[in-house]
Amino acid sequence: MGIVSYLIFFAIVVSILSIITLGLNLQWGSTGVFNAGVVGFYAVGGYTYAILTAPGRPELLVNLELPWILGVVGALIASAIAALLVGLATMKLRGDYLAIATFGIAVTIQLIALNWEGLTGGSLGMTSVPRPLSGFFETPFTYNVFYLCLSAGFCLLTYWALERIVRSPWGRVLRAIREDEGAAIALGKDAATLRLQAFVLGSTVMGLAGALYVGFIGFVSPFDFVPIITFQIWTMLIVGGSGNNKGAVLGTLVVWGLWSASGTLISKILPAAFQTQGGAVQTILIGLVLVLTLLFKPGGLIGEEPTTSRHAG
Amino acid sequence: MKRSIGLLAGAVLVSAWMPAQNAQAQNAVSCPVKLGGILPLTGSMGPVGKRISDSAQLAVKHINEGGGIKGCPVEFILRDDQGQPTVGVDAAKYLVEVERVPAITGSVSSGVTLPILTSVTVPSKVPVVSCCSTAATFTTLAQEGKTGGFFFRTLPTVKTQAYASAKVAADRGFKRVTMIYINTDFGTGMVKDFTKAFNKLGGQVLKTVAYNENQPSYRAEVNSALSDKPDAVFLVAFPQDGATMTREWISLGGTQNLILNNALRTPEYVKAVGGKFLQNAFGMDNASTSGPTVESFKQSFQAAYNASPDGPGIYNQYDAVMILGLAMNLAPDLSGTAIRDAMRKLQSPDATVVGTGPEEFKKAIALIKDGKAIRYSGATGPLEFDANGDVSGAALIWNVKGDQLGTDQTLTVEEMSKLIKQIDG
Repeated sequence: MGIVSYLIFFAIVVSILSIITLGLNLQWGSTGVFNAGVVGFYAVGGYTYAILTAPGRPELLVNLELPWILGVVGALIASAIAALLVGLATMKLRGDYLAIATFGIAVTIQLIALNWEGLTGGSLGMTSVPRPLSGFFETPFTYNVFYLCLSAGFCLLTYWALERIVRSPWGRVLRAIREDEGAAIALGKDAATLRLQAFVLGSTVMGLAGALYVGFIGFVSPFDFVPIITFQIWTMLIVGGSGNNKGAVLGTLVVWGLWSASGTLISKILPAAFQTQGGAVQTILIGLVLVLTLLFKPGGLIGEEPTTSRHAG
Repeated sequence: MKRSIGLLAGAVLVSAWMPAQNAQAQNAVSCPVKLGGILPLTGSMGPVGKRISDSAQLAVKHINEGGGIKGCPVEFILRDDQGQPTVGVDAAKYLVEVERVPAITGSVSSGVTLPILTSVTVPSKVPVVSCCSTAATFTTLAQEGKTGGFFFRTLPTVKTQAYASAKVAADRGFKRVTMIYINTDFGTGMVKDFTKAFNKLGGQVLKTVAYNENQPSYRAEVNSALSDKPDAVFLVAFPQDGATMTREWISLGGTQNLILNNALRTPEYVKAVGGKFLQNAFGMDNASTSGPTVESFKQSFQAAYNASPDGPGIYNQYDAVMILGLAMNLAPDLSGTAIRDAMRKLQSPDATVVGTGPEEFKKAIALIKDGKAIRYSGATGPLEFDANGDVSGAALIWNVKGDQLGTDQTLTVEEMSKLIKQIDG
């Protein structure tokens, strides 16, 4: 019983993180856009949800108390706008330059959240953010079952939509840009606009995950959006298999599972006297498993499927 | 993929009719009694968290040597939150659901503790005792009834610290004070409360300068704070940054009237700055007064880890675990609600005082068996929780004598509650 309850909780977190990884897969896996500011758009989504739905407090600028679904819609819009602005400014950059720029932007977004107290609650964060439909469920267990349906539903929807998109002509052009941008331009494709579109769409998906996360936890603070999350998401995508949406989801499951399971394992096997060192052992263990995966499965657990036109041979 | 979804769906169905049985099974105590811990052992708070978890382990050892909980040895299950809310929340859910711990101690950062409360422990009615989460938000949440009384913390809130500091600053005749503070919930809380109290007591806060951690130099912040030539500067910082900043402040000609926060009460800070520059400085901490319970904790920590317990959170974490141990012995059963209620029974004024260490714990168990009331006086002195789970303790004003940390004066519980009344009205 307890195990089931924990697994449901675990699955909720995995489905939310999967949505971010799927968004990154569109950007990096399909288009080759190196977004090192994943957590920034996740934060925009999360904070927008909180700002729109949180109960009114005199010290806050925005006191709308909107229903949760409008919070989610608002999160999508806000992260799309943020990505558009960032994209317009940075999409001319390539590879490592883009990575540095987006990383800087993510840190900036987190610092804005930390310092613009009237909007975001500053370092104290925002409490009592409404959890969708929580009034209808009596026990935490039934609520979590519901939330799993909600977050997994959004995750499947995202997965399905992105699968459709990357297999569409538009998706094939993204791939062409990734493989050889010069060739794509020579064929008359507007690479800059397409890259921007993929960037905005991917970041909007990340914003959705932010809203779902904050809705689940019921609290948001700048602590939720530390830069390391970007690297965790990247690890999930690389381990699972960049360029493959199934790989993105599987990678999230495996890496987050490893993160949690290693903590459990350490607390089980280490004698009490060494528990304090357990945290360090856990981090080493995670690193080790990741390195081994990459050495033996360099394309990720499920690599990209070979794409040939179904009309060819 | 499909298969695992099927499995999960099956598991959900099976469990849907199970919760009813589960609630009854808690009355009988089965050995060992589990106690959950969530602390940052790695990540940016790692260096602080390691010592704090040492302290928690020491308390568990003392509980076990003193007779355990309801005759059972205690098994402490410690999880690392890495300073990340998601990791902390996952650990909490695991402890509550899979390990079925009746209570948890943790965490350090308010940004980790709060999501643990809102998404796991409060809905599951599991008490949490934190050593170190200072944010004022916990008090607000408790007042709104959103913690259900399941949250406690063993360190003085920012308010106690800020008010006591404001009083001593006013007593020393400072009128114009500038604040340099760390830009976290702790720092901003301190600024708000100190400003409120200091204004009420006739002073004025000229300027507040925020800083972000881990920079090589704070010259810009220091210069900005210097510009108004304040009577005194209130530094809200942690030892490393605090030392860098104090050195820059003094070398640029700032006043040596320094007001310091509790985290700076470490020998490292005094050594890094140089004792001779700190002779006019004072700081506030909760009353780890030099009582016998405090001394006995100091000695056992020193003996166990060959290190000084003078660092942030170490005293408080010991108390967090010890008081949980006492409450769990006192509670009729190990349900969250019973432990929560027992926590508040450990503080009636006419009860027998029990202190730190295994012997005292043994004594406490004997008293509980005889049905006598007990009151815990711990590594941070007497501990009293108010309705919001905050400790309203006595305040200690510390200073530096030569190169050593010393005690300037103590504000008793009565003096503190008078002060709070005077300021809050």
